Amino acid sequence: MSQGTAETVVPVPPVMLRHRRHRVDGDRIFQCLAISAGILVLAIAAIFLLALFVPALPAIREFGLGFLASRDWNPVSLRFGALPFLYGTVITSLVAMVIAFPIGIGAALFLADDARLPFIRVPLSFAIELLAGIPSVVVGLWGLFILVPLMRTSVEPFLSHTFGFLPFFQGPYSGSSYLTAGVVLAIMVLPILVALSRDVIRAVPRSLREASLALGATKAELTWSVILPYARIGVTGAVLLALGRALGETIAVTMVIGNRPGISGSLFAQGYTLPSVLANEFTEATGKIYQGALFELGLVLVSITIAVNVLARLLVWRFKGASEASVV
Amino acid sequence: MKHAVSAAGIAIALLLAACGGTGSTSPGPASGGATVPTPPAAALTGAGSTFDYPFFSAAFYAYNQKFSQVTVNYQSIGSGGGIQQFAKKTVDFGATDVPAKDSELQPIGAAGTVQMPVTLGTVSLAFNLQGVNDGQLKLTPKTISGIFLGTIKKWNDAALAADNSGVSLPDQPVTVVHRSDGSGTTYIFSDYLSGVNSDWKSKVGTGKSISWPTGQGAKGNEAVATTIKQTPGAIGYVELAYVLQTNMTQAKLQNKDGDFVLPSPEGATAAAGQYLVTSPAQFSIVNAPGKDSAPISGYSWVMVSKDQTDKTKGTALVDMLDWLVNDGQQYAANVHYARLPSSVVQNDVAALKTITSAGSTLLTVGAS
Repeated sequence: MSQGTAETVVPVPPVMLRHRRHRVDGDRIFQCLAISAGILVLAIAAIFLLALFVPALPAIREFGLGFLASRDWNPVSLRFGALPFLYGTVITSLVAMVIAFPIGIGAALFLADDARLPFIRVPLSFAIELLAGIPSVVVGLWGLFILVPLMRTSVEPFLSHTFGFLPFFQGPYSGSSYLTAGVVLAIMVLPILVALSRDVIRAVPRSLREASLALGATKAELTWSVILPYARIGVTGAVLLALGRALGETIAVTMVIGNRPGISGSLFAQGYTLPSVLANEFTEATGKIYQGALFELGLVLVSITIAVNVLARLLVWRFKGASEASVV
Repeated sequence: MKHAVSAAGIAIALLLAACGGTGSTSPGPASGGATVPTPPAAALTGAGSTFDYPFFSAAFYAYNQKFSQVTVNYQSIGSGGGIQQFAKKTVDFGATDVPAKDSELQPIGAAGTVQMPVTLGTVSLAFNLQGVNDGQLKLTPKTISGIFLGTIKKWNDAALAADNSGVSLPDQPVTVVHRSDGSGTTYIFSDYLSGVNSDWKSKVGTGKSISWPTGQGAKGNEAVATTIKQTPGAIGYVELAYVLQTNMTQAKLQNKDGDFVLPSPEGATAAAGQYLVTSPAQFSIVNAPGKDSAPISGYSWVMVSKDQTDKTKGTALVDMLDWLVNDGQQYAANVHYARLPSSVVQNDVAALKTITSAGSTLLTVGAS
């Protein structure tokens, strides 16, 4: 307002006081808002769990702990058990990790090394981001139309012929199987695994790398003796986060697994997973026990994924330090 | 915006009705001989069966062309969801492939609900066998239950060969493909198997989701069809409309009279016509007598509340349903669904007349 008196300091205590009081109020309001936002998130999580637990109660009362151990899934006679779905979920996720782990770590090691082959590294980074962006239903359609016939006509006959002495490559094959679901999941978790492992590997201190190279270590020795041991915990965290993604994947698995609530040691057999049975049966389920059993499956699935995620986050945080934890 | 428009529409319609006018829309000439009343303006919502969706979308579009003041929004979220949303009164009508039970309809309850058949479907058995063409394979109740119970494991099984002289059946394993998602089609098919085979009835039973003795599950007609088409030696049950639209190879099925029929919409209507009484308690029409009857057929149902709180909306609703079971049936045929037999249409109209608002019947110009 008063032009030309910019240098003059005008002491006006009442205004200052009012201003200060204003600032205090603003802080308080902001603090209240932030706290309530935090509480709201917690409340949503609590309500969410409650919303699963309450409808699941009829089934929990009816079947008790036996629900987790029973192989029966019969909506007609209302006998329900979660074991085949638990088994299928665990097996497909394990297969996915066995396939994705070596590829993912290899790609991460390559990407973390800035010096090498930039003309491959850049498109590879791009391809991995692209892979992460493909909707799972599209992966599922690709699985159904391309991967399932390929598995039936080429991959499974080859495995059966070559590794048929192993118990998990025995029995008849039809394309839809634990193995096919595992391959689809491996493709879906690969971007997470690569991106996180790359960051973890990059966080290995430069001084360590250079020291070991100075001592005459080869690239391979550097990788095996320095980088991987140092990044071990972080990579484990990345694997667990990828596992969390694999455990919850629904539609892509539903399309290729054969949806058969059985338990088989052979990876060629058809199976079923927790998310798949929910996706398949929820829309037409009626009756308190049947719906309760489906809600209970949901509860089991949420518990597993929460446990895996918490473990993963703890490991990643411990490694990278809480400030840097950029978790997908 | 939409609400404001429909509210204004309702107001205008009421005013004009009070003056004895017919409003801006001239009454559509009824093509089926029945007199169709001019409905008041309303936005109706429904939810439920995915099976009904192709028929409903065609029919409701045509209805809106005829009476632009009425819009019908149907969400195909599945019968289970349709029953729940209807019982909670979040939609004006629900649709289900199997009539809802009293316990499922709480708080409205079965006593407060009109459940009426609106369309008919039939199930076909599609297969993939090199050198065996559409309609060449003949299946009997015995062989169908054998295949789906897992006792017939090879295509050259003696029981199959006996019914199919002249067809060369390969020495190939039978791969059974079934729906993995809960579905009205599975209900009709398992209802049929329970009717023709006591083993099936005691071991497996009837339901929208069942515990399958053999085979692999695929989600939806689409995935079942794809799996059959890719897998040599596969057989599965698929909604007829889907089989006809995608040119799948289907088997001739032996009906109760012993005749082999290729499943068709006309066959479903013939099967339905064999039953004098159709009610939510007595609705199964599988394995029907009659030489043309398609053996694996069933109805799909609409649920409406008997007591309509909003008179205008209620009137629009019963008028629309009256049209749906009369003139609207032609749109069922277009998408390969079957027409309701005339006896069922008459029952439906009689049921619509029991729907009231504040004690007065809503369906005034009954087409019967």
